[in-house]
Amino acid sequence: MTDKTLTIGSTVALPKPELDLLMADLRNNGFQTVGPHLQDESIVYKEIAGLKDLPRGITTEQTPASFRMIQTGKERYFDFIPGSQSWKQFLFPPSHLLFSAVKEGKWQLKENDEPAPHYALIGVRACELAAIGIQDKVFLRDDFSDPIYRHRREGLFILAVNCLDPDATCFCASMGTGPRHTGGFDLCLTELDDVFLVEVGSELGRSLLSARNFELPLAFVQNTANQAMERAAHSMVRSMDTSDLPGLLTGNLDAERWMEIGKRCLSCANCTQVCPTCFCWNATDQVDILGKATRRERLWDSCFNPNYSYVVGGNTRPNIRSRYRQWLTHKLGTWKDQFGVLGCVGCGRCITWCPAGIDLTEEVAAIRAEVLA
Amino acid sequence: MVPEEDIKSALRKVPWFDNLTPEHFNKTAEMSQLRHAKAGEIFFHEGDKQDYVYIVLEGRVSLDIFVPHHGKVRFYTAEPNDVFGWSSVTPSVRQRTAGAMAVLDSIVVCIDAEKLRQFADEDHDFGYLLMRRLTNVVASRLMITRLQLIDMFAGPTEQKND
Amino acid sequence: MTTTLINTAAHSAGYANKLLLPHWAEIVKIIPEAEGVSTFHLKFTDPEVQSRYHFEPGQFNMLYIPGYGEAAISMSSDLETANGLLVHTIRHIGNVTKAANRLKVGDVVGIRGPFGTSWPLDAIEGMDVVIACGGIGLPPLRGAIYQIIRNREKYGKITLLYGARTPADLMYPSEYETWQKAGFDMQVTVDRGDDTWTGRVGVVPMWFYHFRVDPHKTAILTCGPEIMMRFVIYEALARRIPSDHIYISLERNMKCGQGACGHCQQGPYFICKDGPVFPFRALENIFNVEEY
Ligand SMILES: Cc1cc2nc3c(=O)[nH]c(=O)nc-3n(C[C@H](O)[C@H](O)[C@H](O)COP(=O)(O)OP(=O)(O)OC[C@H]3O[C@@H](n4cnc5c(N)ncnc54)[C@H](O)[C@@H]3O)c2cc1C
Ligand code: SF4
Ligand code: SF4
Ligand code: FES
Repeated sequence: MTDKTLTIGSTVALPKPELDLLMADLRNNGFQTVGPHLQDESIVYKEIAGLKDLPRGITTEQTPASFRMIQTGKERYFDFIPGSQSWKQFLFPPSHLLFSAVKEGKWQLKENDEPAPHYALIGVRACELAAIGIQDKVFLRDDFSDPIYRHRREGLFILAVNCLDPDATCFCASMGTGPRHTGGFDLCLTELDDVFLVEVGSELGRSLLSARNFELPLAFVQNTANQAMERAAHSMVRSMDTSDLPGLLTGNLDAERWMEIGKRCLSCANCTQVCPTCFCWNATDQVDILGKATRRERLWDSCFNPNYSYVVGGNTRPNIRSRYRQWLTHKLGTWKDQFGVLGCVGCGRCITWCPAGIDLTEEVAAIRAEVLA
Repeated sequence: MVPEEDIKSALRKVPWFDNLTPEHFNKTAEMSQLRHAKAGEIFFHEGDKQDYVYIVLEGRVSLDIFVPHHGKVRFYTAEPNDVFGWSSVTPSVRQRTAGAMAVLDSIVVCIDAEKLRQFADEDHDFGYLLMRRLTNVVASRLMITRLQLIDMFAGPTEQKND
Repeated sequence: MTTTLINTAAHSAGYANKLLLPHWAEIVKIIPEAEGVSTFHLKFTDPEVQSRYHFEPGQFNMLYIPGYGEAAISMSSDLETANGLLVHTIRHIGNVTKAANRLKVGDVVGIRGPFGTSWPLDAIEGMDVVIACGGIGLPPLRGAIYQIIRNREKYGKITLLYGARTPADLMYPSEYETWQKAGFDMQVTVDRGDDTWTGRVGVVPMWFYHFRVDPHKTAILTCGPEIMMRFVIYEALARRIPSDHIYISLERNMKCGQGACGHCQQGPYFICKDGPVFPFRALENIFNVEEY
């Protein structure tokens, strides 16, 4: 008998249907399983019940300002590169009721005491996990801890997946965040044609997987997976030269290139909305018609919104060029001063979903060229 | 009239006169007189012929412009060491464009503008120092006017939109 | 007294677990200050919150009016005479602040705070102090003014430069006498006056043309329209006052006050938590960058 005891760090082979059962176990344990799903000709992240809800036999072809899906007919679930949505929406909800207030004589506050859901994220890519790591630094700090994020993050189960087929917009390898996972997950899948390889990353992952019908992987299978992951890393066409960041950007706030980008950028805020690390938010009151009840909500915001930097009588960033400069110098510059890391993981979403096809890797290269010239 | 020694010691209190040679200093002192003005005393009205350029030694002198339907608008006050009425030294303007009045009891040096101009024309070394000083005065006045023009304390509705 | 440039108080009133949840405070007094400006005296309805609340001059609260939203408003209380009252001088200029103008004594508003850094009253001991403020920039300095008066012997010459649009816009005029008695050189300047105004007409930075400062022992505290502060700083630097003796209070759009919502960013800073009071040295590379 081979020894089938699992420990953290072990890798086993899991027949694909077993993943369905594993998700069922998660649900039985109080987790809400959320994962990729085909919807509206795109791939969204939403509640899924099992394998049947995953986008089977789909790959994507992403280029600046373009997202296409292609049927492969294969029995594979994770061949695509994610769409516009990221896991951010589960930990940092796009809108969230903070409290309501009612005027009965004097104003009374009612806190939103709805318990935070326990999410199990199914199919988290390496760059996406890195993005969660970055948001941890943003939302869970010594001097500020965001309760909404914290409650969701504490109960989070992460089923990771290694990327084997990066798109043309991906540049995680150059950002040092992917395509292969290095830790921080509960379980991590590598998908082969007929089987998943699963690496155990946590005690919870271990106990869930123990209940499943797994095999010890053959060396051949493991080799195939390793080769596929290596190929993925080398096949990445796009890259970001981070060598002189952040100084390159924060030291050249007067570069001509900002002007030039300002003419192409539409200030639509898409890049900040799809970005898995952007954290800006606004708070607004939704008041009833009599002015006697109000709901105070937190909503995603963006440094591209004109109101974002409004101060009485004017705007500190009235022009698009200065808003783009804020976004890029923050992501790849001042983020480091604030949180010790850069604010970009190289997922490429902002490139795919920019209607003007603006590509931050190209912009950084252009600024570098301008400065060196 | 104030004795000559008084005017000299008064002029020595104004830093600019430190830069002058004794000859230039004495010559300037000859064209100057001191004026003690009570609060409310007028130095000149808008439209007057220009005759003096003034340096405030003590007190405060206001510059006002009369705006139809608004009355008098006070747009500047000259403080100790400040120059006012300087446009009378420039070659072409010959008419006061604002009124000047002591708002506090003030002591003011009045320099004969005609003589000063003549002396500057004859002695270019002196003329250069004088013009350099006046450039400073004009530059600072412009800076102040610019900041007033921006109307930095205005509310959003009072501010003109671009 | 702890007046450091480190934000210590953000958690003092126990907000850690509740995002943007305010504490109610009742309006006990409203004093009209000038056209469109009034001062509110507020008291937390929960005495427990009141006793926990501690601020330093220069810090601010987020003031919440249900149905309208929040606005960042500086503490203008004198630490010791306010008797546990929060004093806020508010210019009624937009949504929230105009709604504040419709409130009456007895109404409640929400308060979160105090947030941000404070004036460095310890660090500038022994120095001549030039307080250069304009418009609604005086209220954030009022608490500091009283702290300086209370510890008058610890400071050298004190000059208070205060600029406003017109004489009618001047705030706290009834207090100037007290300040003068404490030995403050009060230099009040308006942009334009009428012929009853015997004070200065001009702009705050022009004071530097007429007075000499000792660059080695002069500290500047400035708060007001950014353009005014910019010229105060030009003049101060031109007189070789070191940039770490110039302290400036910045204003940016603010939604949270806790370094969380992102709105108030300028360069690496969250103005709400790393500021609003900064030594100018920290801003040298970013302050004058257009639209940054
Ligand atoms: C640190 C700090 C201290 C302040 N102290 C005072 C004070 O003591 N007294 C006072 O009258 N004013 C003060 N202000 C300015 C005050 O915050 C704004 O006037 C107020 O936010 C305007 O809000 P509103 O809803 O009335 O205006 P609107 O024009 O309706 O503003 C809409 C939104 O924009 C934002 N906003 C607009 N202007 C500003 C601004 N100047 N600063 C920050 N956010 C802004 C707010 O989030 C506001 O909710 C201070 C600002 C800051 C940053
Ligand atoms: S900046 Fe663009 S590439 Fe980087 S993490 Fe955000 S969306 Fe992805
Ligand atoms: S400032 Fe802009 S780039 Fe930075 S986190 Fe906010 S939205 Fe994203
Ligand atoms: S006001 Fe939200 S980060 Fe400063």
